[in-house]
Amino acid sequence: MIWKFKKQHSTVFVDRDSAVFEVDESVNVILSPSLYWVQKRTLPVKSLREVKPLIESLFEDILPDGHYSYSAYKEGDEYLLFAYQDKAILDILAQKGLPPSKVNAVYFAQNELASLQEPKKIDDENVIAIKEGIVILLPAKFIKTDALLDVNDLSLSKKSIALKQFGHIVNEKSLYRLIALLAVIIVLVGSEYIITLNKASRLQTQREELFSSYNLKPTMFQNKALLKKYEGIYASQTKLRTLLAAVLSMHLNPAERLKVVEYKNKKLKLAYMGVKEGEEGIIKEQLKKRGFVPVKEHFNSGIWYVEFQL
Amino acid sequence: MNRVNPIHIIALLIVLLLFVMFKLGNAREELADAKASYATTVLLADKIKGLKSNYFNKTKVQKELNKLLRRSTLRSANIVKKVTHSSMTLSSENMNIRSLNFLLGKILNGTYVVSELKIKRLSDKTAAMRLEIKW
Repeated sequence: MIWKFKKQHSTVFVDRDSAVFEVDESVNVILSPSLYWVQKRTLPVKSLREVKPLIESLFEDILPDGHYSYSAYKEGDEYLLFAYQDKAILDILAQKGLPPSKVNAVYFAQNELASLQEPKKIDDENVIAIKEGIVILLPAKFIKTDALLDVNDLSLSKKSIALKQFGHIVNEKSLYRLIALLAVIIVLVGSEYIITLNKASRLQTQREELFSSYNLKPTMFQNKALLKKYEGIYASQTKLRTLLAAVLSMHLNPAERLKVVEYKNKKLKLAYMGVKEGEEGIIKEQLKKRGFVPVKEHFNSGIWYVEFQL
Repeated sequence: MNRVNPIHIIALLIVLLLFVMFKLGNAREELADAKASYATTVLLADKIKGLKSNYFNKTKVQKELNKLLRRSTLRSANIVKKVTHSSMTLSSENMNIRSLNFLLGKILNGTYVVSELKIKRLSDKTAAMRLEIKW
């Protein structure tokens, strides 16, 4: 069995005048009333969800210019409404030695200290007190008390807030819209990726089917070699037919006769009888016009032998 | 403060988007290669099939030649037929010019691989012939 212990974080109270904290581990932060605005109101709404859209307008005339975040909590029949500046609070926390990495959770003093029975000293200059249900910070000279506030004795509520580091630059809605947009684009690009892969895979399968349906050799190299061989034979056969057509359709002198036609190993040999030496040029010229030039020729016993390479 | 920062999510999504786009680019190249390869194979297969079925089809060539030799024009030519596993040789010691013209016309206008041919004029009207056709 594995035992898990919830990590305990110490708690600090942070005000504009607080000294710099030196902490090793992250801490819970209770914000001084000087770091936020609060209103306690009775509103004609049924749920907290209906309150949230109204908060901004309820603070409209109170707040100085700036970028604010809002939160609300129900307390009895009333609502506690908060306004705060994320960036300002984060800057103060950083100045006090509490960068975001050192902060576990942030709470309003209003939510954590509302049950104080008597005013408590924060330091020599400030006292925290409750007036009409609102936690306030007063100069120490207004209220005399020796009781010091010990925030580590407090049992913190679950009403923590999340400070937005870039809230002053881009509002959160825009960020979430951007996230949604990016997610949609990723889904679309991802879908196209899958579709493209499927298409490539289908083409590969169809190509393999071609091999079997056309009874091709196993490799393209073999098939290309086979095609080259076939095309070579086809070319030489075409050439043979063209040359034979030229030879057989040629007009010869009445005394001239084609005695022998012999084709073997891509060589066509012809033997003409009745051709006088020096007159074979007429036949050669006719063949040359059709693109055939003899590679060998000679006369023997009144017969002109001529050879073509195909 | 432990909540995930939306900026980090956006950064992660951008990295993821770049990765998916990179993979898509590769897949597109793969598809283009597959298309080109398929087109090449189809072309090659068609050419091989065309040539093979016309010039190198043993059954077809034999059947057509046998049919040709049964023609009445060639019956009087005394043509001797010799068949091996890869070729057919037709020869005649003495055939008339009409039969020779008919036979050569059919062979040279048909899709046959003529590997050897020898025609020797014997007289104005007769000739000896030897013809080898391969498949």
